[in-house]
Amino acid sequence: MKNRLRDALRATRADYTEIRLERSWTTSVSYRGRRLEGATASTDSGGFVRCLNHGCGWGMASFTALEQLPAMVARAHELSLAVRLDEPIRLADVTPRETDTALPLGRDVRGIPLETKQRHLAALNALMLDRDRRIVDTQASYHDEVCEYWFANSEGTLLYEVRPEVTLSAVAMARDDGTIERALESLGRRAGWDAVEGREEQFLAAADRAVSLLAAPRVRGGTYPVVLDPKLAGVFVHEAFGHLSEADFVYENPQARAMMTLGRRFGHSELVIGDDGSAAGLRGTLPFDDEGTPTRNTILVQNGVLVGRLHSRETAARMGEAPTGNARALSYRHPPIVRMTNTYIANGRGTRDDLLRDIPLGVYACDAMGGQTYLEDFSFTAGHAYMIRDGRIAELVKDVVIAGNLFQTLDRIDRIGGDFQWNELGGGCGKGGQSPLPVTEGSPHIRISEALVGGTLA
Amino acid sequence: MIGPLLERAMRRAEAADAALKSDETLTLVFEAGRLKSTAFSQERGLNLRVSAEGRLGFAGTTSDDVDALLEAALASARVGDAVDLLLPAPAPLPSVTTWYPRAAAATLENLRDLGRELVDRLTRDGCQVAVTVERSIGSVAVANTRGVAASYDVSVLTIAAEVTRVAGDDVLMVADYWASADFPDDTVTGALAQSILKRLDWAAQPAGPPHGALPVLFTPQGAHAILLPLRQACHGKAVLQGISPLAGRQGEQMFDSALTIADDPFLEAAPGSRPIDDEAVPTRRLSLVQQGVVGEFIYDLETACRAGVPATGHARRSTFGKPQAAYSNLAIAAGADGWDDLLQRIPDGLLVDELIGVGQGNVIGGAFSHPVALAYRVISGEVVGRVKDAAVAGNAYELLGRLGGLGRDVERRGSLLLPPILLEGVAVAPR
Repeated sequence: MKNRLRDALRATRADYTEIRLERSWTTSVSYRGRRLEGATASTDSGGFVRCLNHGCGWGMASFTALEQLPAMVARAHELSLAVRLDEPIRLADVTPRETDTALPLGRDVRGIPLETKQRHLAALNALMLDRDRRIVDTQASYHDEVCEYWFANSEGTLLYEVRPEVTLSAVAMARDDGTIERALESLGRRAGWDAVEGREEQFLAAADRAVSLLAAPRVRGGTYPVVLDPKLAGVFVHEAFGHLSEADFVYENPQARAMMTLGRRFGHSELVIGDDGSAAGLRGTLPFDDEGTPTRNTILVQNGVLVGRLHSRETAARMGEAPTGNARALSYRHPPIVRMTNTYIANGRGTRDDLLRDIPLGVYACDAMGGQTYLEDFSFTAGHAYMIRDGRIAELVKDVVIAGNLFQTLDRIDRIGGDFQWNELGGGCGKGGQSPLPVTEGSPHIRISEALVGGTLA
Repeated sequence: MIGPLLERAMRRAEAADAALKSDETLTLVFEAGRLKSTAFSQERGLNLRVSAEGRLGFAGTTSDDVDALLEAALASARVGDAVDLLLPAPAPLPSVTTWYPRAAAATLENLRDLGRELVDRLTRDGCQVAVTVERSIGSVAVANTRGVAASYDVSVLTIAAEVTRVAGDDVLMVADYWASADFPDDTVTGALAQSILKRLDWAAQPAGPPHGALPVLFTPQGAHAILLPLRQACHGKAVLQGISPLAGRQGEQMFDSALTIADDPFLEAAPGSRPIDDEAVPTRRLSLVQQGVVGEFIYDLETACRAGVPATGHARRSTFGKPQAAYSNLAIAAGADGWDDLLQRIPDGLLVDELIGVGQGNVIGGAFSHPVALAYRVISGEVVGRVKDAAVAGNAYELLGRLGGLGRDVERRGSLLLPPILLEGVAVAPR
């Protein structure tokens, strides 16, 4: 493969050329209720070429027919020449390097028989189904992938990586008369088979939660002090803040740039937000991004002040900042765009109970069912939640949707706990038609002095 | 490729079917008003299902190695579920055009001109314009061991545009798209620009949110959110699993008698139209809701087999995984009300284009609670400005039980055909 890459790059006529080749092995097993939906093993391979010529646009080609590589390089070069730009695209400098990296594979999933994977999931799924007669439906899925990955560019970078990934997810649906509730749990790691063993507790938790939500009242909508658990706080920082810190949102938009000016205050002095693609073993972790830039820990907010943003080589050059290793592509079918990796709110001080203590009436929101931003407006749905009464956790409530404006909400974070954890969820991030991209989030418990909680609207 | 694969499969399994899809796509991306990148993509994927010793196995590949594909499918069948699946026999296919020469023959220059024309129409001070123009041409072949071997060519042309206006901490983003199997006629970019500019005008002034149980008019774009629970509830798999609120209620009047929803695979030049589904079942028009009465649900072969009903011709399969039922083109029939009539029925309320967080949570249950992404205050039938700090909530099934009005101007976006829908008594709260 390396020789094919070198040959193709030697033959290119473009000013800049980069090539990614991928070969991946995937197994998926899924259950719906008692029924095995499928257990499959597949292989996928293909390539992506991107060319840039001075004063021209990007030309790109993606393909599943690998023998077409030289023709695809020529095609991407032609497509680049077809676009004329007044203001040329520049790329920030990245030191060329040749590196081979195999991320820790643990027990390599390729060595585990399909039947073992199917039986493992069947057992986990049965835990949910057998837990309570009100569990009427489940969805359980296991997915693994090992991707052999090559990246080379005409500046002399040549990378080879082996990228593993495993995810496990559980959805339990409980029904009582006309009421249907669901609860989910998931896990996503860049690791091997070991990571999915011993996960019984998570599956039982999903079943128990779905059942207990049946009898829970809907939260009464309104404005409350809200404490977010680390899982939900992680989703919050990803959705509400992370996307605005992606430089492709601001780099060609002067007004957006003004809104996200470095030095702007975003919250109180303990607030630290970052994105760390180099953290060990997490879903968003990689040694290099898909432009060959080393990943790193990028601080976005330091002591409440905006100090950084996430970059590709192009956005970094345009804004005169350093590339951060955040240009990522879902697969060879897609171009790299600015994405998050492992995004976090750093530790403050105190326990969850410290954060609850002086709240007379509030909501403790846990787990993420989903989240979405519409630029500065966001909405996310808690998996489950409790009322806080007189500083203590009280009854379970459901349909907790928290919505707000990013700037107001960050400003209203008044306590940050000291109990940081990565949420290691199995979902992923969607942007520009590329979904689900493996990411993880982390946070301690955080407290928002005032947030809108949807439910029954009074 | 598909024929020899099935021949080989027959020696090792009782039955097999396969879908081979190939396509070539050209994508032009205009950022900040200028053409920035041009991408070509080529993909070919083959998906195989076998029934071996009564068990189903699935496999997919993007390579040419059909032997490895067959082995993978057989390995999957060894741990697979036992299903007595009867593959469809050859049958006459409905006639539907899925490939249009003008779309297929469009050059890079043609596509660039479309994009430039739209950028020019949308360019305004203080606004960023992003436009994507994409043209796909390809083919779909489906075959099974009962003798079906069908194929058809497809073309799809998509134009998407987004205008972003940032003023201080206020961000406004208005997007719309057009998709068809045919090349757009002269009116398309104009209409697309008009649709976006109209919303920019509506949003020119800020307006405070109303409060209470109010009439809310959903534009065809906004109506998607209200329709989503119904879409999920009419899915055969949800019905089979017992989680669809519509299960067991076929023939019952559950909704307003003005509401008629159909799935139409024969809609002219719509991207979801096709003569045969990906499991070799001929497609047909399906009535999901007829004048408020619950009608049919969509099924793939396996789900239909388990439910003891006929498959409906709605299977989609990608290269990897197994066939799943999906809608072809979903259409709500036009109502009787003009746009102005609908607005006039709102003394104080909202016009909603887009909500935040649609699809999260327990969608099929019908309960929703979403902040608005793009919505406007309506007072005495007049749009007075953009409302940002509001959330809407309710239960989609209940609200569709008593429509406040249904528009006669149906808009088509890709494979969705929707009119404006006026709902009464939607909970609206300020944020």
